[in-house]
Amino acid sequence: MHPATPTTADAPVGRTHRTPLSRRRLVRGVLAVALAAPLMFGAAACGDDEAADPNAPVKLAVFWWGGDARAKLTEDVLALYTRKHPNVTFEKTWQANQGYFDKLATLTAGGNPPDLFQIDDNFLAEYAARNTTLDLTSYQSSGKLDTAKFPKSLWQYGVVDGKLAGLAAGENTQGLVYNKTLLTRHGLPEPTTGMSWEEHIAWAEQVARTTKVPGTQDPSADYKAFWVWLRQQGKDLYNGKELGFTAEDVTRWFELWKGARDRKATPTADVIHEGNSTDITKQLVATGKAATSWVWANQMPEIKKNTKDELGVVAYPGDPSAQWARASMYWSVFRGSRHKDVAVDVINFMVNDPEAVKLLGTDRGLPSNLDLRTVVSEGATDPAMKQSIAVETELAQKFGESPQVPIKGHSKVRAELIKAAENAQYGRATPAQAASQFVDACKSAIV
Amino acid sequence: MVSVTTTARAAGPGRRRPRSRSALRLLVLLAILAVVLYPLIWMLGTALKSQEEIVSNVGLLPERFTPGNFTAGWSHFDVSFGRFFLNSALVSLLTVVGNAVSCLLAAYAFARLRFPLRGAWFAVMIGTLLLPGHVLIVPQYILFRSVGLVGAEWPYLPLLVPQFLATEAFFVFLMVQFMRGIPRELDEAAKIDGASAYGIFRYVILPLSRPALVTTAIFSFIWTWNDFFRQLVFLSDLQDYTVPVALTLFIDSTSQSAVGPMFAMSVLSLLPVFGFFVAFQRMLVEGINTSGLKG
Amino acid sequence: MALTTAPDPTRGGTGSVRPRATRRRTGRIRYGDGLAGYVFLSPWLAGLLAVTAIPMLVSLYLSFTNYDILTPFSEVRWVGLANYERMFTADPSYWHAVRVTLTFALIAVPLKLAAALGVALLLNRAWRGVGLFRGLFYLPSLLGGSVALAIVWVNMFNRDGAVNSLLSLFGIEGRPWVNDPDWALETLMVLAIWQFGAPMVIFLAGLKQVPTELYEAAAVDGAGRWRKFRNVTLPMLSPVIFFNLVLETINGFQGFTAAFVLSNGTGGPVDSTLMYTLNLYITGFTDLEMGYASAMAWVFLIAIALITVIFFSTGRFWVHYADGEGR
Repeated sequence: MHPATPTTADAPVGRTHRTPLSRRRLVRGVLAVALAAPLMFGAAACGDDEAADPNAPVKLAVFWWGGDARAKLTEDVLALYTRKHPNVTFEKTWQANQGYFDKLATLTAGGNPPDLFQIDDNFLAEYAARNTTLDLTSYQSSGKLDTAKFPKSLWQYGVVDGKLAGLAAGENTQGLVYNKTLLTRHGLPEPTTGMSWEEHIAWAEQVARTTKVPGTQDPSADYKAFWVWLRQQGKDLYNGKELGFTAEDVTRWFELWKGARDRKATPTADVIHEGNSTDITKQLVATGKAATSWVWANQMPEIKKNTKDELGVVAYPGDPSAQWARASMYWSVFRGSRHKDVAVDVINFMVNDPEAVKLLGTDRGLPSNLDLRTVVSEGATDPAMKQSIAVETELAQKFGESPQVPIKGHSKVRAELIKAAENAQYGRATPAQAASQFVDACKSAIV
Repeated sequence: MVSVTTTARAAGPGRRRPRSRSALRLLVLLAILAVVLYPLIWMLGTALKSQEEIVSNVGLLPERFTPGNFTAGWSHFDVSFGRFFLNSALVSLLTVVGNAVSCLLAAYAFARLRFPLRGAWFAVMIGTLLLPGHVLIVPQYILFRSVGLVGAEWPYLPLLVPQFLATEAFFVFLMVQFMRGIPRELDEAAKIDGASAYGIFRYVILPLSRPALVTTAIFSFIWTWNDFFRQLVFLSDLQDYTVPVALTLFIDSTSQSAVGPMFAMSVLSLLPVFGFFVAFQRMLVEGINTSGLKG
Repeated sequence: MALTTAPDPTRGGTGSVRPRATRRRTGRIRYGDGLAGYVFLSPWLAGLLAVTAIPMLVSLYLSFTNYDILTPFSEVRWVGLANYERMFTADPSYWHAVRVTLTFALIAVPLKLAAALGVALLLNRAWRGVGLFRGLFYLPSLLGGSVALAIVWVNMFNRDGAVNSLLSLFGIEGRPWVNDPDWALETLMVLAIWQFGAPMVIFLAGLKQVPTELYEAAAVDGAGRWRKFRNVTLPMLSPVIFFNLVLETINGFQGFTAAFVLSNGTGGPVDSTLMYTLNLYITGFTDLEMGYASAMAWVFLIAIALITVIFFSTGRFWVHYADGEGR
């Protein structure tokens, strides 16, 4: 078992040149020179030739993750841009999310990052904090990047430390996806938006008793469920550079779900662990191991492809105004790009051009531009897609303010929450022990 | 198990083994094989299931056969999967050549020649095996980019150049161990006949190193065929992607899940490596004792 | 061969290099060998200098910094031994990963080698169809660490998986092996052992090198099967056994792919499969603490080097080389 000892923060700051160790410095100097050499090649290549002729040929490197459907749509839109601006062509790279951020980081380190790349809220702050992303604020104020038709909270969810680090490529929000067929077959009520957490658990218990299928996945390891719950308690995941919650909050959260497990409203720990994966095919509502999964609302159509049963989607329990217009992913521009203006214009094109937005559809979430969102929504044909759009549109009326973008260290916080919650789920720790383990680990993760 | 084999071996070409013993051996082999192969058969079964069934039916056989996964997987992307196979074959075969040649030369030096600092270099060579590769990939990328390997006309350069410079210490070490099993009397005899270090390499060591070379070829091919991380980092164009990279494209765990086609292509991707293995292992069968070179 | 050493001390290793004085070589040959040695070694030396050594040295340097991949080298801050201090004093995950890795390697490596040697002996003789059998036994290793493998393995070792169906035939109630923190690591070991193809092939190749005459001679001396195995096969195979032992130990400690694939890159459930290199990867690429990850890598290198030195120094007692050089 993992010891619950706190990982004390080591603060190397300020120790740097404590003693004049000449030999170490010498080694360091030699190495630094050796390392700087390739770097300077990289830097030399990064000269800014922005001022040049606007019709000069420009080649932009674009990098995104996704499936082949997204690849096709994106390539079509980029081709459309080239048709309108024949001097601009694209070097397109796409892959699945596995390894995407490893590669993006490696390219960045190599001085060879793409001009334009897709990023999510997990890493946006990491990249923005290190000045890898271009601050889009000036483009926004000059209107070159038009966010007039965006929900304000949506573009604000791309602001890190006062800089617009990424522009929402689409919108999504938390959604509970449940097995409609199962409930109908047993004459059980469907969950509704606005149910309290207690009501949800009681409902899940009833489902479990009647259908022998656990009513809901235990989401205590899921940061997005925890986050919504925190916001309903008047807390938040982060508050500036600090945690927005205390060990007591976490204890209550873990105890809430321990209660649910004890009442058999949720599956056993091993099945919960399976469902804790972010993988769509492992969602318990698809594998039939629970009646409800905690996902993003726009994932519903893809989950549907993995099951014969009809699915429904509602908001997470509690007051839905705790949910917000979340950027499902962003487009960001590399700060050292040679063609910043063009790159920003391509983003603007992808989110605001009617033709482009229609082509892209809802693949990256609901279109950010509200006028175009209506058009695209009306054009949807897949029934699951229509349903998910309808729910998201309805929820959008109730959204509250966006929280701040998750801070540096968020990946670790997510991983630590899973670890702590699973410790409680497997009965290896009490909710209080798991909570203090989690909070301690978080504190050292976000320093 | 052990005794059975040695008997068989000692019996040599006479073939006087009792029938019951070879039947027993076959039985043992088949029993082990059943256990070993079960997961693979399951994999084949899954390749024939529909998307819904993969998630809901964990049994061995599909309820409804869906061979369409194979055709769907083959033409799933803008680029046909055949292209990925060709790319992988190209990279793997060139890696085989590079490793076989460069590692054999280095191994001969370590195993047979005496030169200053040999022990130290050998230690360094073993040392390069020990550092976990994940901390090397970023510096290596920076280095390769600064010397123009990344972004070169031909995208496979950063994957292949190291292979021609014996950087896979595993194979050097492997060949050293094999060469040390070759009796030194053969070298001495050649030396008496006036052979130089190069002559000994050419006429004694090279012909006798076949098992080591074949082993190297097999592993180079298979490991390159399966290598994901380096190929992911260094390749950027769909056209250039290799099989392991392409296989991950089927599943973007947050947005897309073409599990059936992925399984079908995974099964297909085993065939070339399996064929390569069966073809090359034949050469293992004929050991040095049949090569007629023993003095 | 004079190797009883850790990596070159100039690269931070702790061992010492003791090139043993050459024995029974005449000056004439030694001179010729010296030149020829470097000629044959030149591709490897070029590779070392151009491909391997620089990144290794860079990673050593980075282990004393707060490098996070995204920050350019020029802005990296030197933190002295802080990363190493943190590892040894303030990071329980690190020690947890060390324990997991040791457990894994100590159990999985010997079993894998035993399986590989056993099957290699069964498949050594040439008979009709042996090639196919060899191929079939190698087949699991061909899968490497693919996505498909992860799905297969999880489904074999799940609560409702094939393993439990088999057990229930004998009235044994199974467990959710792969999703059970008490058994997930064992599941991983089974996976490693299942992929015994590589050492098996090396054993097969080694067995082919055993000269038939030795068996014939032993038969003349009236040796039985066991004595032939004991006195001919084992000693003649010992360089290859030695190689497999060293390499599989290194592989066992580095075991990344299986843990990564089976746990979806998390090391879960509850860190039960958090192998050393997986922890290092997460630290470097997900948490973006590449400086710290580099420090982990160098501690790893030193630890494995020590183990390798122990292997090499015991090798002289049991490894038999036909080239007449002891260790």
